[in-house]
Amino acid sequence: MKVVGTSVERLDAVKKVTGTAQFADDIQFSRPLFAQVKRSPYPHAKILRIDTSKAKALEGVRCVITGDYYKKRSGLYLEDKNFLAVGTAKFRGEPVAAVAAESKEIAEEACRLIEVEYEELPAVFDALEGMKPDAPLIHPDLHTYKVAPIFYPQKGTNISHHYVLRKGDPDKAFAEADRVFDNSFYIPHVQHVPIEPHACTAQYMPDGELTIWAACQSPFAVRRALAETFDFPLNKIRVISKAVGGGFGCKAGTTLEGIVIPLAMLCPGRPVKLTYTREDEFQYAYVRQGLHIRIQTAVRKDGKIIGSRNTLAWDGGAYTEYGVNIVKAAGWGCVGPYDIDNIATDSYCVYTNHPVGGPYRGFGMSEIHFAIEQNLDMVANEMDISPLDIRRINGIREGGISATGQKIEVAGYQECLERAAQLLEYDKPCEPSGSPTKLRGKGLAGGWKAPSMPTDVASSVIIRMNEDGTFVLLCSCHDMGQGSDTVMAQIAAETLTVDPSKITVRTGDTDHTPYEWQTVASRSTYCAGNATKLAAEDLRNKILEVAQIKLGTWKNDLYLEDGYVCRKFYPDMKVPMSTFALGLSLPDQSGIAGPMIGVGSFTVPNNIAADIKTGLSPKPVAFWTMGVNGAEVEVDTETGKIKVLKMVSVFDAGKVINPQMYEGQAEGAMVQAMGTALYEELKLDHGRVMNPSFVDYKIPTFDDMPELVVEAVEKAEPTGPYGARGIGEIVMVPGAPAIANAVANAIGCRFLRMPLTPDVVLAALREKNKKQ
Amino acid sequence: MEYRVRFYVNNEPIELSVPANRTLLSVLREDLALTGTKEGCGAGECGACTIIMDGKAVNACLILAPELDGKHIETVEGLANGSELSPLQESFIEHMALQCGFCTPGMLMSAESLLRENPHPTRAEIVDAMSGNLCRCTGYKKIVEAIEAVAEKGVYEK
Amino acid sequence: MKEFQYLLPHTVAEAVALKEKYDKAAVFMAGATDVVVRMRDYLLTPEYVIDLKAIPELGGITFSKEKGLHIGALATMNEICADENVKQYYPTLAKAAGSVGSKQVRNRATCIGNIVNASPLADTATPLYCYDAIVEIAGPNGTRELPITEFILFVRKVALERGEMVTGIRVPFKEAQGEFCKISRRDQVDLSTVCGTVLKIDGTYRVAMGSVAPQPRRLPKTEALLNGAPLTPERIEEAAQLATTEVSPIDDVRADKQYRLDMVAYIVRNALGKLA
Repeated sequence: MKVVGTSVERLDAVKKVTGTAQFADDIQFSRPLFAQVKRSPYPHAKILRIDTSKAKALEGVRCVITGDYYKKRSGLYLEDKNFLAVGTAKFRGEPVAAVAAESKEIAEEACRLIEVEYEELPAVFDALEGMKPDAPLIHPDLHTYKVAPIFYPQKGTNISHHYVLRKGDPDKAFAEADRVFDNSFYIPHVQHVPIEPHACTAQYMPDGELTIWAACQSPFAVRRALAETFDFPLNKIRVISKAVGGGFGCKAGTTLEGIVIPLAMLCPGRPVKLTYTREDEFQYAYVRQGLHIRIQTAVRKDGKIIGSRNTLAWDGGAYTEYGVNIVKAAGWGCVGPYDIDNIATDSYCVYTNHPVGGPYRGFGMSEIHFAIEQNLDMVANEMDISPLDIRRINGIREGGISATGQKIEVAGYQECLERAAQLLEYDKPCEPSGSPTKLRGKGLAGGWKAPSMPTDVASSVIIRMNEDGTFVLLCSCHDMGQGSDTVMAQIAAETLTVDPSKITVRTGDTDHTPYEWQTVASRSTYCAGNATKLAAEDLRNKILEVAQIKLGTWKNDLYLEDGYVCRKFYPDMKVPMSTFALGLSLPDQSGIAGPMIGVGSFTVPNNIAADIKTGLSPKPVAFWTMGVNGAEVEVDTETGKIKVLKMVSVFDAGKVINPQMYEGQAEGAMVQAMGTALYEELKLDHGRVMNPSFVDYKIPTFDDMPELVVEAVEKAEPTGPYGARGIGEIVMVPGAPAIANAVANAIGCRFLRMPLTPDVVLAALREKNKKQ
Repeated sequence: MEYRVRFYVNNEPIELSVPANRTLLSVLREDLALTGTKEGCGAGECGACTIIMDGKAVNACLILAPELDGKHIETVEGLANGSELSPLQESFIEHMALQCGFCTPGMLMSAESLLRENPHPTRAEIVDAMSGNLCRCTGYKKIVEAIEAVAEKGVYEK
Repeated sequence: MKEFQYLLPHTVAEAVALKEKYDKAAVFMAGATDVVVRMRDYLLTPEYVIDLKAIPELGGITFSKEKGLHIGALATMNEICADENVKQYYPTLAKAAGSVGSKQVRNRATCIGNIVNASPLADTATPLYCYDAIVEIAGPNGTRELPITEFILFVRKVALERGEMVTGIRVPFKEAQGEFCKISRRDQVDLSTVCGTVLKIDGTYRVAMGSVAPQPRRLPKTEALLNGAPLTPERIEEAAQLATTEVSPIDDVRADKQYRLDMVAYIVRNALGKLA
């Protein structure tokens, strides 16, 4: 292959280094209005009265809305969400009213003038509390909500989805086991922290057309959700997404769009704009859900795990329209990349009066693997088996069976494990730190992830050939930094045998680029990549159809090479592809065919939804991507501070389309995982975010970066484009538990909760010293 | 009340009347449509709005508009000479030191200021000078490598 | 940010006159790194902002062994931490100034601003406390001086009268050995969880801690203990423990009280260990 597997320069690189890439907030509008939001100061409260009269009377205010203006609920999988609270406010900071005004300052002032009277209601601040029978109900009408058929809300409870998995005979396994273990973990809420905050502008035209410019990962999903909520036919609503400054999941669904649209509808012709501040971002955008997880493990004395029972209680926040799918995905992946015959898993999505949970890089996998991979080390330690061996014994191999009963045809886990251990020199002790109070340790952790999407979702790509033999590729998988534009160009270039510089990629406009379900789930390289390859092949076939006339032969004797149509037996008889860009001109100047356009549509073949009772499916997902992170850490036993010295990353990518971008994904993911392991937690106190800014929510910076080593294993995915499978999320998943395992190795303390902050580390050391 | 300020942005003279409660960042983005400079936090914590003012890297979000009188401001839009990219811009592309690109303008301005002051920084000096710029995508490694590559070429030697 | 009037005096006398006239309706601004953020968050809503940056006499850092170090109100953190005299004769202050915020912030933020803000965790406060720095104040009735320990009264409260401003800080020159130590969650661009300075000057010890009480503070009992006898390992440990009784930290979002007490002991122990 000439293009696939090479580090082609990013298509958007020059725009991004010159500051000319246009992000949502960069778009200049004439006569914009500015939106601002009035928010609930209570985590759970009945709204008794809203008086907007003073705000409406303020000069420069164009319109004011409350939840009463548009009561219809919205949601991707479960329609439980109002963009503006209707009747009750369910989390602190929930919008209760919104204003559009001539300036930001006027809009802010108008919000201050809105008077709201509340009656506080008892609230839920923990998933386990929320599951109790006497817990206050946050959505009393849950059973009446519209829901996708694969989710099961429990009437009269706060449980919006209960995923049940029953495989084999766990009771028997636990009865027969030589050793049984029972460990529980807690993973707190964290935030995605893209450096670009959410931004959105909506413009409603007097003729009924609505255009939304949003920083969003998934323009089509946003279009559909908004069209349903606001009763627009899909041809009257257009979502445009420009450059997106990082998503990590938080720009996948709908957040502030639904606040801006009703304002725009009341001010026809005027663009209405809302850009979140960093503080808004921390409190009002999606958060990664909190998780209580209990893992019981039945192990034979040789280290083989024969049974696993898992209980997961997810803190979904006030609305779980998106979160329910994370809860399901975690159920499918519940034991990690390990082949275990007998499994019982219950994964609950629980409403709380916390910020709204949503997709976050890993889609539940980062959370559960923090528990799974520490649990493995804890079991290994108790049984005097090395952490490496317990993974060798239980790690999935080709032909192995997933938790849902899916046969794993390609599995690079063992190769990744061995290579990661080598790169970390896991068998050797750490280099001495030079100080008796600085202790070092090494840790490994594995992980896997599948694109957890509904089984029938679709992608499409159009490739248009220009007269000069260049191409415009239209797709709607969105480049939010991960590099999908460049990957699509590489796949198309490979198929069309041209240099990728000949291909321009245009994305992110539901009126002009073809349908794509969502840019999530590490599915773009696979799904949109397959659609791209199909489109390129379609284009190639169409070219060959007319070329056979021109070249006087059968099309099966023709092939493409370096942008030429060539004959197999007479390689010199070649014609530039561009000859056929507009069809074919015949000697009498008449024309046939017409402009060359390739079309590719792709849906994962034979994906089957899981059974409601057993949670089993022979193929709920297209593939599983798996691999291993390693970490070496140094713990300062006087200050409790952990320094990550080195991290290694080895994942089975199937086929790496662009090695430099693959490294970039893996490096960024390791540092992001390190942030969650060491620093990051959205600190919640009675529903209030206590650290809603960079002052007190720290993400890693330059100084924190450890030595980063990245390699890939390439066991081709048979159904992937050129053998590729998705890697964007999985490369983060085992990072945090690898660090936790390394810390345990260094100081002999186990941390069952993230993050491993210095105060927690010192307290654990003190406890340990007391015991000794 | 508005304040008359005369200043330079990328050597272009600018004259504006601005209220006191505006920041340089909002003047650049809203009045001058120079949207290359980004707002990531508005509080001097993320570095996305880093520009060079009178030779020093500063956060545009922490400068009041009336302070601009007489100042020389350099933004990311001033780095390239027409379509000829600066050495740092070239190096960022070559090392793939960007993903989403939102932090990139601020990164480039911090790096530019560093190399002008110190054409051959050590890795520790790079880390120290760049730590006020947050990136969530790259893990920083390729950014450091891109800066080191330019430093090695010695193009910033006085 | 609320609307306000921006005032740009060119002399200290003008600045003082403006401040006396507008009193609580006006705030002084130098580096703006704190004032702008607080105005943005509506924690500060002044009607007048008096920018001091056009007053030439407030700039600069001067040093002589006789007069000591003088830091003008406009001297930035980066100027301080890069100053050869500060680095040579006041390394703890250089390190403290260099630990504030990011490089971009240090290019604007001033040491005087750090002190006038009177945050309990002001990074530059503890070295200045150990050196018995003198705060120079100008006001409607002329100039006066206050020891820094008497200047900072409480969280964000200082001993300035109506119309007064700080024009500079004088730090007497003394041969000193010791350490400034900042404990923060992230090593770069973070606030102190605890910060502290331990100095040995003319054979006596001085210990100051920040972020463990409503204002930075010297620890007189710990100092007295250390000044009484030779520095043995037992004495160091005793001092480290005694130091924790002289502070009153709280639990907050950055760390709990116990951790702060542990860090006070650590800073004392670590610095004394190097001096022993």
